Amino acid sequence: MAVFMDLNITYTTDKKRLRSVIETAAHLGYSTVAINYVVDLQQKKQEIGKPKCVLELFDTFPIVQGKSRPIKVLNRLTVVASDPSHFRPNAEYKAYDLVAVYPKTEKLFHAACMTFDVDIICVAVTEKQPFFFKRSPVNGAIERGVFFEISYTPAIRDSTMRRYTIANAISLTETCKGKNLIVTSGAERPLELRGPYDIANLGLLFGLSEEDGKAAISTNCRAVHLHGETRKTALGIVHTMKKDQPLTERQEEEHVPASKRAKLETVDS
Amino acid sequence: MRRADIKDEPATYERLVYKNTSVYHYMRISLVLENENTRLSAAQLKQLIVSGLRDLYGEVGSAFPFDLLKFDARALTGVLRVYNSGLVKLWSALTLLGSYQNERCSFRVTQVSPFLLTLSGNSRELELELD
Repeated sequence: MAVFMDLNITYTTDKKRLRSVIETAAHLGYSTVAINYVVDLQQKKQEIGKPKCVLELFDTFPIVQGKSRPIKVLNRLTVVASDPSHFRPNAEYKAYDLVAVYPKTEKLFHAACMTFDVDIICVAVTEKQPFFFKRSPVNGAIERGVFFEISYTPAIRDSTMRRYTIANAISLTETCKGKNLIVTSGAERPLELRGPYDIANLGLLFGLSEEDGKAAISTNCRAVHLHGETRKTALGIVHTMKKDQPLTERQEEEHVPASKRAKLETVDS
Repeated sequence: MRRADIKDEPATYERLVYKNTSVYHYMRISLVLENENTRLSAAQLKQLIVSGLRDLYGEVGSAFPFDLLKFDARALTGVLRVYNSGLVKLWSALTLLGSYQNERCSFRVTQVSPFLLTLSGNSRELELELD
């Protein structure tokens, strides 16, 4: 079974709060979280800094509930782009595990789907989608392995935002048919996080099937994480795992408990 | 992705069909409030859930029966019973509930099952005794 991930925890300078959000995420059963640094280049004097080292946050990472393994923390950069000049892949982007773009216009959405070297494309949830999702860029993004993101925290905070979230999510799922979609929190406080199964159920409201809803918080997030790693390295990644030595026949015989062996013999005779 | 040491054997399936499916689903929930000293009664909790349902689905959409079977006012945990048809609605309303009397809150759904007996224990809270 794939593990659950929440790839959007909003970065705050308040270290204590950030720590408690990550602790809550571990308690709810998320195995991986990503701290999200948002850069809006339209405002002046915005710079893409280096992310804070995640090791600074904790001495020992909190244990994920039901997994007995510590939680994994990634860094993620979100570029709010309202002009094509805003997205310039440079060395600063390489310091982040994941790169996301939040396109404000249709032209940029098209460019983000077809050409930008990103992992995630954010979908507006705090305002009415200013453009229509066309099939060709969305299909292009799916082919390139880029994922669309919907975050649910605004929907918890305010009922108007909730309407926008659900409306935009439905119009996206109509176009992408539930494929290549991730649902993330975007939480700033521990009480804004929800459990993974709650979110899988919430996916039904967004027009996803039960299967796609669960994939949106597990397997699709894993694909995003791996896509982020390919961007960091040259072209691809290779996963290796340890292979057990096949047992020789003698060993196999020894492995069978004495009681079973006796039974086999009686059957044979 | 396939691991090399797993042999290709035809998987065996056993199909289980419940003849008398339960008409209800049961949920064990707990409410987390920002201010830990806030107390609320069972009636207030139900009121909160009903108002959350009405916010999300409106008068008609929220008009389905559900019950609060048990409520522990000290730990703020309870057991809900709902018809299968209302489960998704009730669950999503609980998920999107974010405030109680201008105070942040959050519902944690610990267990969901069609059998009430399942809620008597939680395997995730078992502690193994290792010697």
